[in-house]
Amino acid sequence: MKINYTKLLKIFLISIFYFVIDMVVAYAHGEKAMEPYFRTRTVMFYDVTWSTDNVKVGENVTIEGKFRLHSDWPQAVDDPDVIYVNQSIPGPVFAKIESYLNGVPARQSFRDMEVGKDYHYKMVLQGRVPGNHHVHPGIAIKGSGTIIGPGQFIKVSGSQKDFKFPVTTMDGVLIEDLETYALADVFKWHSTLAILGIFWLLWWVWRPLLIPRYQALKQGREDLLITRLDLTVGILLGVFVFVAIVYNYNVQANKYPITVPLQTSRMYTDPLPVADPQIKINVSRAEYDIPGRTMRMWVEVKNNGDNKVRLGELTTANLRFINKSFGHAMNNVTANYPSEHMADGGLEIDKDKYINPGESHKMFITAQDARWETERLTAFLTDVDARVGALLFFYDEEGNRKILDVASSILPVFTDDDGTGPSYQRIGR
Amino acid sequence: MSKSESRSFFGKIFRMRSEDREILKIVGLNKEQAGLARYFDFLVVAAAFLLFCGAFHLHVMLSAGDWDMFIDWKDRQYWPLIIPIDTIMFPAAVQAAFWYYFRLPIGATLCGVCLLTSVWIGTYSYWHLWTMFPIVLNVPSIIIAGCILLDVILLIFRRWIFVACIGAPLFALTFYPSNMAALTGYYVPVEHLGSMASMADVIGYTFPRSATPEYIRIIETGTLRTFEGTSVWVSGVFAAFVCIFLYMLWWQIGMAFSTVKTWSQSPKLKKYLGFKG
Repeated sequence: MKINYTKLLKIFLISIFYFVIDMVVAYAHGEKAMEPYFRTRTVMFYDVTWSTDNVKVGENVTIEGKFRLHSDWPQAVDDPDVIYVNQSIPGPVFAKIESYLNGVPARQSFRDMEVGKDYHYKMVLQGRVPGNHHVHPGIAIKGSGTIIGPGQFIKVSGSQKDFKFPVTTMDGVLIEDLETYALADVFKWHSTLAILGIFWLLWWVWRPLLIPRYQALKQGREDLLITRLDLTVGILLGVFVFVAIVYNYNVQANKYPITVPLQTSRMYTDPLPVADPQIKINVSRAEYDIPGRTMRMWVEVKNNGDNKVRLGELTTANLRFINKSFGHAMNNVTANYPSEHMADGGLEIDKDKYINPGESHKMFITAQDARWETERLTAFLTDVDARVGALLFFYDEEGNRKILDVASSILPVFTDDDGTGPSYQRIGR
Repeated sequence: MSKSESRSFFGKIFRMRSEDREILKIVGLNKEQAGLARYFDFLVVAAAFLLFCGAFHLHVMLSAGDWDMFIDWKDRQYWPLIIPIDTIMFPAAVQAAFWYYFRLPIGATLCGVCLLTSVWIGTYSYWHLWTMFPIVLNVPSIIIAGCILLDVILLIFRRWIFVACIGAPLFALTFYPSNMAALTGYYVPVEHLGSMASMADVIGYTFPRSATPEYIRIIETGTLRTFEGTSVWVSGVFAAFVCIFLYMLWWQIGMAFSTVKTWSQSPKLKKYLGFKG
């Protein structure tokens, strides 16, 4: 058959073309795939900052912030008995230099975290691979997975070839680059054993192999199949391999006289000392208006403190709804905070005012944004655990902040009649 | 050594010997038939190599992948226990088929070479080129030394029971030293964030795997002071013990899977299918 090379080349080029045009870059790290009860009622990130959004290869970026372990911890998620301060980045595009939880080095995992408490984390990453990378902090919970915090694009410029990671061992030896450390030993030894193995295979494969050997064996001529020479070569090879192992093992032991096993232990830190906010909140009803893409909450706030407080922000699943008419709340938004985590409409509060000490005040909160849908947070409509949680940020007149975590069952609303404004408040009252 | 001398050196080693000519003679293959049989050999060898590369690699990655893939999983307790136990299965089965039908004592070495080939292709392609991890993080284990010893023991004793009792424990016991002959440098102590760590720990921390938090590592968490403070040889001896029985089991599995059996040979089935018994 005559092969039509031109046709084959065309098919090849078309295949490549379709492959290339179909490629899209994935920027997310799967957070949308996590159920709403996971994202709204477990690790609640806030005050997240990135020291810069532009570094060169070899330069550092610091990510820090706080998180609260929500009091209404879902039944389906393992308790935070063991956690790890993690990061979500597209592969090792950054090298991790340092990480801390409440100032304690977070090289290893932490145990016995307390639900309802706050923790501070910090990590320092160093640019390694050029590109525009989406960088999230994350808290990994043993048995459940990593809860990802808000993400920021950080541009790494330069050349990966310039990346070097020097390390000094405890016996004072400077390793110029961790990326290539001791690889020469590995290549040499693996090549040696591979050559010995290939020699042994060739020794047998080179000679008449399958059909002749099978037939000869059937005729009872095993004596021809394995000769004295084969036996001698085999024994010599076995002895050589054994001696080579012992010899190289000792060479390495002399080359690196001090070694330690892999290190593992569980760390512990107390939660941050956060004062009692002296605010009690009762969520009497929460709804999600499906056509309006709006979450509504009816809450009663009792101020047991000595200062007047006012609601400034609702945060859930890394989405921030800010009370834009309130200066203290707006001041809490840093200039370079990623816009994809800011709800455009902000937080609407009916009867928005300072709540006096000792006063109980009923409020109707509206958090409207298309991100409820695009972030797949409306899956609580189909989940077995149809509850939603959030952090509420209150401020006193001097701008001091008090944070409360709230949660409630959430009811879907399928129609949009009278779905806006105070007149709608009759529902649930 | 010149090129011609080199060729003659290898030519001497891999020459057709009188026994080989005798084999062709007694099985009645003429020159043309012997040539065709040779082509068949090479086709099977190539196919077998690719098959065992894929199958053995898949088996190891699915059952003990993390210990083999990551330098910061190669501890003193689980690594020398799990990898020999996991990797003796394929060599035992392939040895059975190659020995029983062809008297070829190369099954284990073939598996060892195939695994090393495929695991290095994986390390370089998808770990290093594709996902940009440095090779130091993914230095694989190597089992070729133990595989060669398995084959040599089979060649010497020519009975699988001896290989099970001598070769399999040797396979397990030589695993740790034959790997530490290259990896010792990764256990040099380093001061890291105010505490002591091995170089392997630092490598694992520095080049982060977002989906692999530290707590997920299954590594030694205590110390057996009775045995000079190290669990390596306790793990090694236990692995050797388990390997004896696993070798026996997988030899039988290799025999079963290399024997052609069809249901139609069953008289009962023939009867049910309407054939006369």
